[in-house]
Amino acid sequence: MEYLYGIVIIVGLYVILATSFNLIIGYGGLVSIAHPVFFALGAYTSAILSRDFHVPVLLAMLAGFFVALVASIALALPSLRVSGDYLLIASIGFQLGVLELIKNVRFTGGPGGFTNIPPFLIREFGRESYVLLVLAVVAAVIVLVWWIARSDYGRAMSAMRDDELAFASVGRDAMWMKIAIFGLGSGLAGLAGGLYAHYFRFITPEQFEILQSSAILTMVVVGGMRTTWGPVVGALLLQALPQAISFLQLPPSVLGPIQGLLFTGLVLVFMFFRPQGLVSAKNVWRAAPAAKARGAR
Amino acid sequence: MQDITIILQILWTSIATSTYDVLFAVAFALVLKVTRLFNFAQAAIMTIAFYTAFVVVQWLEWPACVAFIAMLATTLAASYALERIGFEALRARGVSVMFVFVFTFMVSEFVAYLAALVFGTWPQTIFPTMFWPATLVGDIAVSGWDLPAIGSTAAALAAYFGFMRFTRTGQFMTGVADNPDLAALYGIDKRKIFLVTMLISGAFVCLGMFLYGTRAQVLPETGLSLMLFAVAATIMGGIGNVGGAAIAALILAVIQNASILVIPSEWQGFLLYVFLFFAIVFFPNGLRLPRRRSRFSTATRDMPAPPAAPPAESQA
Repeated sequence: MEYLYGIVIIVGLYVILATSFNLIIGYGGLVSIAHPVFFALGAYTSAILSRDFHVPVLLAMLAGFFVALVASIALALPSLRVSGDYLLIASIGFQLGVLELIKNVRFTGGPGGFTNIPPFLIREFGRESYVLLVLAVVAAVIVLVWWIARSDYGRAMSAMRDDELAFASVGRDAMWMKIAIFGLGSGLAGLAGGLYAHYFRFITPEQFEILQSSAILTMVVVGGMRTTWGPVVGALLLQALPQAISFLQLPPSVLGPIQGLLFTGLVLVFMFFRPQGLVSAKNVWRAAPAAKARGAR
Repeated sequence: MQDITIILQILWTSIATSTYDVLFAVAFALVLKVTRLFNFAQAAIMTIAFYTAFVVVQWLEWPACVAFIAMLATTLAASYALERIGFEALRARGVSVMFVFVFTFMVSEFVAYLAALVFGTWPQTIFPTMFWPATLVGDIAVSGWDLPAIGSTAAALAAYFGFMRFTRTGQFMTGVADNPDLAALYGIDKRKIFLVTMLISGAFVCLGMFLYGTRAQVLPETGLSLMLFAVAATIMGGIGNVGGAAIAALILAVIQNASILVIPSEWQGFLLYVFLFFAIVFFPNGLRLPRRRSRFSTATRDMPAPPAAPPAESQA
């Protein structure tokens, strides 16, 4: 049962990561690959605060959310000031740089990892309670992103993504909208990091490397960008695949590259043959004439 | 206070080891200049180049010159395939620059995982040993690797700049880089120019990886970190300025190597990300030196201003 709970939690966390990344790359049109590093920042912040500073776990998790949010703004502000292309390059440098930093400083546990992270809820209410907590956060994140995408703000996001010049010409500030989207999406990744740290209770920098970037990107591209259910389908599918491969009893030196090949290979195939993913996005502007007609009446 | 001999030794070694960084930066900057693509698939071509040489030298036990020819063949073939199968198809579909970037990044990752599966995740070198005999010149040790590396890099750069300056294809490349649509209007075959650009870039990558692989250990993911250095140098050199990228790579490599005098060696890798961050935040358009005032500009400055053009109504 513990194994099953572990799988449900990991799939749930990847749904949060893929859904929040979809907000950034799909709805916002911002290409960054640094999502795992915000996941890492949330995990490390929550773990360090709760273990070394005895901050209550719930507060530590919230701190993880805010640290990831602030770090993402610090990354996005200078790079978006220049152009969207720079966010992409800066995100690679930021991810590798932060991981290098985590490996070299003592208080994070270095390359050996951070251990003895305090558990949350499990001792008092059992593992089921943590599964329910994760599922509740998953549902909340999906609803939040769905609500944002369908709100007026979501339509403004689509306008900004599809034609930034026209968007700016009507007096809207594209840069702050991008920063807000990037900050919220990264903050949610930080929250997922906190949830991860207090269940598995051991984190290492290796868990947040480029393989994770490929995995999350694959979930969104294969599932379907700019859709509510696309990242959910992508996360379920791509978490089921490694579980299936793990039954082959391959050594870790072979298993890792095979997983990586699967993730990157799937993205490449989908980019050429089904760029819309498994769940196709609806045309956001299709409803516009009807809405206009309603407005005229 | 550091001994002057140590400083000179570090400076010399830094200049020698900057050669491959310069070649990678030139390869990246050239593709960005002409095709306007952030070609992170260059990391894949680096990986292919290195493991080709590795197989030829370590597995087949053939000489280094054969390994270099094989590397050149595979890098040119990979560059050709990337342009014709990847970039051309994506251009035809009119996808965004970001989409192309994700494609190039995924290609690099795919090749890195493939290399990890076939060759393992432990570090490898082209030759069984990285030891190069050294000769003392004054008090400075000059290794048997240094002079060929500097000489071949200088020759490759001279050949490139000569090609760009004196050949029709080179001039066409400059034309396409400046305005691809106007160049096409003048009958320049953009398709051919993009392919030639990718092939030249592949040749630079081949030489750079041969130098790197004979001096340092390579992992399947080494290409990506080498790429980041090239990106930082390209941004600092000024996008579209291949010579600027080469000079920036040289300066950054010297700073990174010389940093051993002031910071612990485990932080040297971190410096790369600091460079990248500073390049994006403070020098997004490149480092610009103040222009030297030419006689022509002085003369034109002293000339009286031309009369203002009459307004459109009065012309009508």
